Parts: sequence; C-alpha cells; structure tokens
Amino acid sequence: MSNLVAPSRDLWSYARIWPGLAKWSGWGLLILIYAPLAWLALLSFSTRPLSGIPYPLSLTNYAALVHTPGWTGPFLISLGIALLVGLITAVIACFVGRAIPRSPRAGTIVLIALLPLFIPGVSLGAALFIFLRVLLGLNLGYWSIMLGHVIWSFPFALIIVLVLTTRFDHRLLEAASDLGAGPWRRFWDIEFPLLRPAIIGAGLFGFLLSFNEVQRSIFLRGTATTMPIWNWTMASSQQSQIPIIFSLATVILAVVLPLLCLVFWFIFVRIEKGR
Amino acid sequence: MAKAATQSATMLEARDIVHRYGPVVALDHVSITAARGEFLTILGESGSGKTTMLRVISGLERPHSVGALLIGGEDVANLPAAQRNCTTVFQSYALFPHMSVEENVAYGLKIRGVPMDERRRRVDEALNLVRLHQKSARRIGQLSGGERQRVALARAIVTRPALLLLDEPLGALDERLRYDMQTELVELHKTLGMTFIYITHSQEEALTMSDRILLMRHGRVEQAGRPEELFDRPVSRFAASFMGFENLLPCRVEHKLAGGRVVVRVAGRVFHATTVVQDALSEGSDAVLAVRAERFAPADVASDALNLLPCRPTERFYRGKYVDQRAESDAGPLRFRVWDKANSFADFAAVRCSEADCVVVPQ
Repeated sequence: MSNLVAPSRDLWSYARIWPGLAKWSGWGLLILIYAPLAWLALLSFSTRPLSGIPYPLSLTNYAALVHTPGWTGPFLISLGIALLVGLITAVIACFVGRAIPRSPRAGTIVLIALLPLFIPGVSLGAALFIFLRVLLGLNLGYWSIMLGHVIWSFPFALIIVLVLTTRFDHRLLEAASDLGAGPWRRFWDIEFPLLRPAIIGAGLFGFLLSFNEVQRSIFLRGTATTMPIWNWTMASSQQSQIPIIFSLATVILAVVLPLLCLVFWFIFVRIEKGR
Repeated sequence: MAKAATQSATMLEARDIVHRYGPVVALDHVSITAARGEFLTILGESGSGKTTMLRVISGLERPHSVGALLIGGEDVANLPAAQRNCTTVFQSYALFPHMSVEENVAYGLKIRGVPMDERRRRVDEALNLVRLHQKSARRIGQLSGGERQRVALARAIVTRPALLLLDEPLGALDERLRYDMQTELVELHKTLGMTFIYITHSQEEALTMSDRILLMRHGRVEQAGRPEELFDRPVSRFAASFMGFENLLPCRVEHKLAGGRVVVRVAGRVFHATTVVQDALSEGSDAVLAVRAERFAPADVASDALNLLPCRPTERFYRGKYVDQRAESDAGPLRFRVWDKANSFADFAAVRCSEADCVVVPQ
C-alpha cells in the first residue's frame, strides 16, 4: 500500500495580499481614468483654464461656447452622421449576424469580418482615400466620412450581434412556422424581439464610435468638418477659442458617458436576461 | 379545400415517402395513413426515422421524394409548414421565451387574424383544458417542466388543426409526471376528437395510449397494427425483441398447419406455436421462437410432452412483485417470472408454454 501524498502546500498562493492587490489596482486604474476627466471638467469652469488652476471659478467659457457660432455646425453634422452610422451598422450587423451561424464556413467569415479591428485607423483612412478619391475620382464629403465610420464600427457591432445569434434556438422559428407564421412574421414576432438587445447595442456602438472618430475622418472629409475634427483643429492651433474646448469636451463627455453606460447595460444586462 | 378537409375520413395519407440526409436513408419508401380521430403512435428507437417522418408531415422537412401527402384530403406535398393544417408539440417544447403563457397560446390565432375577443375566449378554453388557466400571465421561465409541456399542448390545439403531431412530448418529464400525462393525453384526445400522431420510443406508452401502432426500423415500417397485435403477434425478430419478448430461441420449422399454426422443434423438443407470417416460413428452415418471460411456467418433470423444454435453474432476482428466474437449457439461456411467492420452484426441471403464447418469427 502506497502512502498518499498530500497536495503541496504552496503557501504563497494563499497569501492575503492577492485579493487586496486586485482591489487596490482596480481602484488605482479607475482614478487614472476618471481623475483627469474630472480635472478637465473642473477647469472648464475656470477663468483661465490654460493656467491649470481652477480658481477663480466662472461660467465664462460656457457663455463663450454659447456665443461662438463655429462649433454648432460640426456638432450637428457629427450628430447626424453618428445617428445614421448607428442605424446602418445595426441593420447590416443584424443581417450578417443572423446569416453567419447558418454558414458552413462561419469561422472564416467571422475572422475576415473582424480583422478590420486591428487595422490602424490612419492606414484604413489613407487606403479608403486612395481608393475613393484617387482611383474612383469621387468628391469626398459627409458620405465618405459616413462610409469610413460604418466600416470602422461594423466589426464591433457584429461581435455584439453574434453573441445572441450564435446561441439562438432555431427550433423557435420552426415552432412559429408550424403555428402558421410565414418568414416575415417569424422574423418580427420571434427573432427580432429576442435579438433586440444586441441590435440596439450594435447601433449604440456605431453611434459612439462615429461620434468620436478622428483618424479616418481626416482622410475622408473632403472639405467637411465634424465635431472631433473641429475640436482637434482648434486645440492644435494657437487660437483664442482654446478655453472653450474645455467646456465643449465636458459637454460631449456628459453626452457620451451616459450613452456608453446604456450600451453596456444593453449588452450585459438585457442580453443575459434574454437568454 | 376546406370542405374536403371536413368530410374526408382519412386525415393523413402519406404514400411512398423517401428522405435522405446525405448518404443516410432516413425514410425508405414509408407509407402511413391515419383515420379521422385516430390515436396513431409511431414507435421506434432513435435513428429509426420516426421524427423525420413527423417533420415531413408537418412540413419542416422537405422529403427527397413523395408519392402522395394529404392532410384531411388536401394535397400538402408542396405547401410550406406554415400553410398546413397541422401543429406540433415539440420534444423541446420550443415555447417563445419572450412571451407570456397566454401570448404563446394565442400566437397561432394571432397569425390567423382571429379577432381579439374570440382569441381570448379560445385561449382561455385551451388553457382550461390543460388546467393552466391560473398561470396565463406567467413567463415561460417561471414554469416547471410539466407546465411547459401543457403550454406547448395548449398552443398546438388552440388552432384546432386536422392533425396534432406529438414528438416524444413526455420524454423530458420524470416518471410519475409522465404516467399522469399519459392518462391526460388520452382524455384530451377523447374530448377533442382530433387525430393524434404520437412519436415515442417507449413501447409502454405506445401500448397504453394508441388505437394503432406503427413500429419503425431503419427508415421502414416494420409492423403496423393494434396494440394487442404488436404485443402478442410480432412479425419479426426485431419486433418481438422491441416489444419485450425476453426469450428468443432458435428453432426449426417442422410443419405448417392451417390457421397460422406451426410445429417447430426447439433443441430436439416439439412445440406447437402460432405465427402471423406463415408465408415467410418454409418447412425445414431455421426460425425464432419468441416467448414472454411471464408466459413460461415452470414444470416438475422433464417428460417428452409437447411445448415442454427441459432446463436447470440458475440465478434468481427478487423484483418485489415477482421473482425473475434465469435457467439454462439446450436452446440457450431462458428467463421467466415466478409470481407466486409461496411456490418457490427451487428445483423445477423444465418450462412449459401454451401454444397461443409461442410465437414463431423468421430468423
């Protein structure tokens, strides 16, 4: 009879430091992310934001923002483009995402579809510029910015939709057919409601990615200007407009952060519940 | 079309159905008919083609070739599933998770454009029939397995189809519930007067519920008939073994007599037996003698009498209601049951069996 050997006692792995380490590094990272943003928001209320000192506080920059007409045009353009990109991305991702699980080469298709995630924005922007402007001789403008944004946000949207479509129970569609539903009713009554969280998540992702996009827009904008490009131009040139960038960035953050929360709520709460 | 459906006495007529999955033949020239109001069971092990047959009838599977496929007298061979006058109770239930019990049941009526009041009335009626009316507002996730089964049933019958197809509906339930549901399904069948086509792999379910049974094997119909016929008069070795004949003994056909009687020799002993496939047997050829364990009776002496097979006892297993007795004979191992507890038969020398309980099938 052989002696049973107890599992080795690697005491270091039982040390109390590990849970603490995880907790404090998590908090540290959160501070690194949000402290500069909070500081920016605070400085947007400063009389002299470029000095880096929040005191004395005032609403001068916001007043200036309201009275500077330059940014409203790009802002509305960006909003419009982002809304359309969100819509288009959601619809395409829905179609493609439903088709992929039925394909015998699903893996290859997903790989090819997701590869653009790893192409640097500048490369993609330049490539699209050469293709559209130089090769096809088209006049670039809002439409090409939108095209670039759809290409950029599509892989993200696809991933979100695939989460639900790959585990969709197709027997539900058979049951609907069996009860008399044609293909159209089957989609609207059964498939769409069950995929809705993912489709909305995909649309929101498309909106956010487009709304903040600079790298591709620079190449594809022609003479058009979007909000991020306007910000970037203002911030990089020595103009008197700079102080209002602080307040503008704060306003944008106030819009984008809640939207992001909504996206993650859809992705993690609704999709999990829908299963 | 609708008139034909209400007048036809044959609710289902499927002739010469062939279906393949790649090189695998799932249905090999299968023909099935079901009369109006009949409870027809398609029995078979997994892979026998029974579920494929059901999917062909419902339209969820397009067969390779069809001789004819009529539901209630209407040719449905080229109709999609959505346009056929039959509904299915799926093995997985396939209830819509984003709808309440009520909405699930109402779905077929909603598709058919039934007005709101009538829809509500018929949904209530269907939920009453399956005794689930108190849970009509529940979500599917809040129901137990047995309750989901009832919702699936209500959803399928609410549109009053000509044919109700049931694909192993009791398979996922525990034994007690399955037993109760068997009774309930039979009662429901009586109440509705609808034609049921029921798929199962359980011979017990088939025997207790059906008007008629179709035993399938390798994509073909092995035997069709009333439950008593399948239980007592198998046509083949497979049918005998599937229907629970524990003893399948090799024998040789001696004489064929009139009226389905046959004389065989088992390990040198003469047995008078019956058969329903006399044409498939020829005198002098090898065959199989099938006897149920409970139809063998132990005997004290191994004389030369008819229908008597000498053997010696081996193991015995206590089963509560009876004792499962094993024995060794020249024809191979035997199994039979001893019901009388006082009479232990520890030292029997042979088993006997009446002519009616000895069934001969081709090898």
